[in-house]
Amino acid sequence: MDQKKMNMEKKIRVLVAKPGLDGHERGAHVVAYGLRDAGFEVIYTGLRQTTKQIVNTAIQEDVDVIGLSILSGAHLSLSQKVIEGLKTQDAEDIIVIVGGIIPEEDIPLLKAMGVCEVFTAGTPVSAISDFISASISSN
Amino acid sequence: MSGNSNPMEKFETAETQWKQNILDKRLKRFNLSKSPTRFYSPLANKNSDFLENVGFPGQYPFTAGSNPFDFWRAYAEDAAKMGYRPDWGGAGGVGKYGGFGTAEDYRDYLIRMHAMGRTGGPNMAFDLVTQCGYDSDSDYAEGEVGRVGVAIDSFRDFATIYEPYTGDLGIDKVPSNFTINAPAAIIIAMYAILADKRGIPLDKLRGTPQNDILKEFIARGTYIYPPEQSLRLFRDICVFCTRHMPKLNINSIGGYHIREAGATREQDLAFSMANAAAYIQAGIAGGLDVDSFAPKQTFNAFGGSMEIYQEIALQRAARRIYARMLKERFKAKNPRSMMIRQPITAHIGCVSTTLQRPLNNLTRAVVGGMAAGMSGGMPGVFPPYDEPLGLGHSQEAVQLQLDATRILIYEAKVADVNDPWAGSYFMESLTDDIEARATAEMEKIEKMGGAVAAIESGYMQKAVSKSAYEKQKQIERQEEFVVGVNCFNDDNEISVNVNREVEASYDPELLKSAEDRQQQKLKKLKRQRNSKAVSSALSALKAHAKDESVNLMVDICECVRNDVTLQEMCDVLREVFGEFQQSKL
Repeated sequence: MDQKKMNMEKKIRVLVAKPGLDGHERGAHVVAYGLRDAGFEVIYTGLRQTTKQIVNTAIQEDVDVIGLSILSGAHLSLSQKVIEGLKTQDAEDIIVIVGGIIPEEDIPLLKAMGVCEVFTAGTPVSAISDFISASISSN
Repeated sequence: MSGNSNPMEKFETAETQWKQNILDKRLKRFNLSKSPTRFYSPLANKNSDFLENVGFPGQYPFTAGSNPFDFWRAYAEDAAKMGYRPDWGGAGGVGKYGGFGTAEDYRDYLIRMHAMGRTGGPNMAFDLVTQCGYDSDSDYAEGEVGRVGVAIDSFRDFATIYEPYTGDLGIDKVPSNFTINAPAAIIIAMYAILADKRGIPLDKLRGTPQNDILKEFIARGTYIYPPEQSLRLFRDICVFCTRHMPKLNINSIGGYHIREAGATREQDLAFSMANAAAYIQAGIAGGLDVDSFAPKQTFNAFGGSMEIYQEIALQRAARRIYARMLKERFKAKNPRSMMIRQPITAHIGCVSTTLQRPLNNLTRAVVGGMAAGMSGGMPGVFPPYDEPLGLGHSQEAVQLQLDATRILIYEAKVADVNDPWAGSYFMESLTDDIEARATAEMEKIEKMGGAVAAIESGYMQKAVSKSAYEKQKQIERQEEFVVGVNCFNDDNEISVNVNREVEASYDPELLKSAEDRQQQKLKKLKRQRNSKAVSSALSALKAHAKDESVNLMVDICECVRNDVTLQEMCDVLREVFGEFQQSKL
């Protein structure tokens, strides 16, 4: 049996991560609780994570998804570093989604660099869990 | 029938009759078991003693307001005639809150603002690197230097910002605000050393450091050391300021940060009061008489929701709880020790704003301004409507925010009456209710051992994030409605977009190079300074940090004077105190 099929049978694992020094955690907490209730295995990094730490945790914890919560305005450079880090470590199968205060004009830029989806304020957590389930099962 | 019957009896009879003859019929007609509205008669707070529970504005227990009228109200008509802009400060206040880039960038910005008419002192936002106790060359600094505030690595940076503040703008004349928490002792020491170097007596210095570290563990997250050691630093600041800088406010306690992080109204009130109690206790433990420093404890704001009645009641309850706590528990005698001093009262909180049809946020913020005007504060309309769209507000949004406040003051005359709800059966009952629930939560925290214990165990943090999640579920289940977000959001509604030109004062090119320029300055500083003096100042700080009974302000001042960097001081304290680790979610 191949690795992918085995992964399908276990719970989807999500790393909710707060890169940088920003300490506004409400969104990260709510999404973490919501995804946990939706049946995912959720790991929350806590505050003040470097992008390198996030990539390493994602690989060690064997997650399927990284959800970056960014409200500091530094979403472009932080997302870029996470995606590059995953590439360097041959872990491009981990999908990256971003949530937070993201100006509309930056969403296409994030997607162009490889972010799968961007969830801005007002998004129901169910929309995020639906997106993750659909993305992982189509992989 | 007896002659001295219960005076409430006639209301009870009338209420029963109303229910039977009027309300029940209406319920039946709409096939409802319970009324969707409520009505409050004298029965709602029949045992309440007005003088004991409300009183007059400016009198214990301050329910009706901390003052008979606020200082701004005394000048309101003059302000209109003169075209006064609150973002310029004045009347002894600070100017608009801000900060970006290097110390030089922020200094130049302030010089430009003063040329335009700003008269108030600096009101500093610090970058996250500074807030978390790192220098601009730390690994953690990457991409963050000068971004959400100004970067301060050493006393030299601090002194640079103050270059324009001489003469009429001298630090003995204008106050300063510092939105700083974990490294507050260092920034206050810098302010003291600046005065000392300029030959200005410390007792002339005015201003407000935020210095509310306990709420950083519950919301915002810019803590460094564990709560107990953080509170020791608070004690040292409190004692130092009371003895040497008696005009400086000691702190500015934030309830609204906790609210923004998800707390319910009662948690907001209970947690910030528990924090306030911990600060008062720390000052007393430092050997101070409560009345010598409690008048210098200030609050930023409580509140943060669209529920206008509840937000008004919250302000009234907060003033009463604090007054009673200071008088009964801490045995304060000076009424100024018992009064809440805060620049902002009620408001909607940024969390009430929506990305969807953002102009609606102006309507929302006006509701908050009404609540503020009716609860003892300036009817401040906050935040600007483009708050959820990204960092920085557009000039238009700020103009409309200012105008909305003015319209409430001058046209609607919202602030012409103090506590207009005083004596309302409904408002008094709601105030009692919020007070009772917040007090119960405060007692629970006291049983745990107070704010520090409730933070160490993660109780407050978990309670807040659970409340945030609960609120989200209510929105997703449509138990709560947010216009344009979970209702009225189908194709029949049109989207209303806004132009958004962010204030150009913060030059993006300067922001880009800020990190490099700060790092160059640090290199130069480390070459030029007396390294012997640096290491001896740091060893003294370290040795004394280990002895809980020593006030560290003297050592921190010595470090500042000798060009020790902010991170070097914080690192030494990290070694001795350790770093706080948040418990798992």
